[in-house]
Amino acid sequence: MQAIFANLALGFQTAFSWTNILWVFIGGTLGTIIGMLPGLGPATGVAILIPITFGMNPATALITMAAVYYGAMFGGSRASIMINTPGDASAIVSCFDGYPMTRQGKAGTALAISAIASFIGGMIGMLFLVFLTQPIAAAALKFGPAEMFSLMLFALVATITLSEGNLLKGALAICIGLMLSTVGIDALTGIVRFTYGMTALNDGIDFLVVIIGVYAVTEVYKNYKAIDAKYSFDSKHIGKVRVSWPEFKRSLWPMLRSSPLGFVIGVLPGMGGTIATFMSYAMEKNISKHPEEFGKGAIEGLAAPEAANNACSCGAMVPLLTLGIPGSGTTAVMLGALMLLGVKPGPTLFTDHPEIAWGVIASMLIGNIILIIINLPLAVPLVQLLRVPQRIMLPLILGLALIGAYFLNYSSSDLILVMISGVVGYIFVILGIPLPPLVLALILGETTETTLRNSLVLSDGNISIFFQKPISAVFIALAAISLVYALIRNKRNQSAA
Amino acid sequence: MIWARQRELAWSVFCNSGKGCAGGTCMTTNFLTGIIGILIGGIYLITALQLPQMKMGDRLGPKLFPAVVGIAAIIAGLALIIQDKRPGKASKKADFGFVEYKHVWIKISLTTAVGILFGVFIDSLGFVLATSLFMLFATSLINKGRHIQNIVISILFAVITYGVFGLALKLSLPRGIIENILPF
Repeated sequence: MQAIFANLALGFQTAFSWTNILWVFIGGTLGTIIGMLPGLGPATGVAILIPITFGMNPATALITMAAVYYGAMFGGSRASIMINTPGDASAIVSCFDGYPMTRQGKAGTALAISAIASFIGGMIGMLFLVFLTQPIAAAALKFGPAEMFSLMLFALVATITLSEGNLLKGALAICIGLMLSTVGIDALTGIVRFTYGMTALNDGIDFLVVIIGVYAVTEVYKNYKAIDAKYSFDSKHIGKVRVSWPEFKRSLWPMLRSSPLGFVIGVLPGMGGTIATFMSYAMEKNISKHPEEFGKGAIEGLAAPEAANNACSCGAMVPLLTLGIPGSGTTAVMLGALMLLGVKPGPTLFTDHPEIAWGVIASMLIGNIILIIINLPLAVPLVQLLRVPQRIMLPLILGLALIGAYFLNYSSSDLILVMISGVVGYIFVILGIPLPPLVLALILGETTETTLRNSLVLSDGNISIFFQKPISAVFIALAAISLVYALIRNKRNQSAA
Repeated sequence: MIWARQRELAWSVFCNSGKGCAGGTCMTTNFLTGIIGILIGGIYLITALQLPQMKMGDRLGPKLFPAVVGIAAIIAGLALIIQDKRPGKASKKADFGFVEYKHVWIKISLTTAVGILFGVFIDSLGFVLATSLFMLFATSLINKGRHIQNIVISILFAVITYGVFGLALKLSLPRGIIENILPF
């Protein structure tokens, strides 16, 4: 316990520099704005803002990106409340009761409670993060290649089994991601693989370029259909951005209940904010004494998912920081950006660079306070940005994505790759092939292969090594259980249909 | 043998009228995804098997992992096709909207082409000129008809990003005619 407080003190020392506080403010504000814009989520936000982290020290870079992440979580619901169009997928649930509140003339209350719930969810999530990261990182330090491989296998399998959608398409997405990760010179033997004669591919495919392609360019292409969308609302009827005591009391327990739920969901790979918000909404509706009010402007129907959403974004930081495994699209982008700065998140981050790991955790406290300040008094001026038409926003996103991809290696071939990734990503979206498992596999591919090969060298080619080591066996069992769970769920869904 | 069975399956699915794909010959999303899986997996597997064998140490090394992944992709593709073939289980027709959303596809193709051209010319034209031209094209495509607004957005975007990344963050951006005129 004492060690945790000592570490936290170190974290605050890092986070409380003027530079870091300034970047938390800038990142949080930009994140709120991007999260608010329809169709653009936190992953897109972090992806197009990667270039601003160039030249920063890694602690400031991670603090800024985390601020963009939870800033986007704060902002996501603004559009749901004002114009009934979610800013990103995890803000869909906020439309259910947020927009009815606006129609009843209570937009101000809705904006206020969503900011307060985001704050409470974020703070509770941060507390869990403080107590959970150290033991997990310490345990992970003892992992050998066999344990690491089984963990990667579990992370990849869980990404498709825990998320909704077609299992086989998810599996195919993982295979394609793993294939892309093997392109280039093999680090262990020096053999050139899968470049098909293109020397530009010898260094491999930079996953950040693919990430910018699928999270920024594909998103812009998806929005081409709604290019003429104009969003209007009446600013005069927003009302005071505040919550009355009875309204707060009514929302308090739902917020407190949903935060741990959101956090746990965030920790699991493949289960992001969307599932967290839907589950917390369903839970509140089930235990409410007035379930009939849900969908008609029940304040707890907005507060609970908002709290779950922000706690979930803290949960997603756990596997990223402690194991180096990104559980969501946004954390995948963050991992990529950090590797660019020469830092590899994982258990050694806590021993080699405790100031980065604890700095980012401590910065969340400051970030949440700054964000509630931004989102309460400035709620009304901020939502005016929703009036900026898509036809102006989309070229700007596209421009930022392209120059961001170019800045990674100053390479023209990266710009070609980013555009190809954008089109292929769009085709995959139409075919229903999920992109997050593909990105995750592309990032984890190299470690998965290296740990597999190192384990087999150790065991002289005997695969029983993965079952003989207890921790490795547990991860393999978990992967198997999650697969069986998904198959049963699929069967049930089919028979229900 | 496998390929013969696959071809047989492929044709039978083409002629299968499932729930989601009424009307006889049509390609469903799952079927098409399956074909993509088999094709990509197949090409990848063949390439993997041609990799040189290591003589010592990590002997299966560079081949093993790709071979497993390639086979997994082919299995996933085949399973998608078989799943789709089961009576009443056909997925919906693969509709890319080439006709209905022709204008969207034209915009996507043009954006992609100009993005690639941006990559080809950025080093010779310099950051500011290449970025302004790209933005002018992108805004004209998306924000049609508002020429003055588009010119202003394009120039401002290039100048502001140059200021932020080139001057404030000191990234070394490609220099062209415009950058060479600047005193800094």
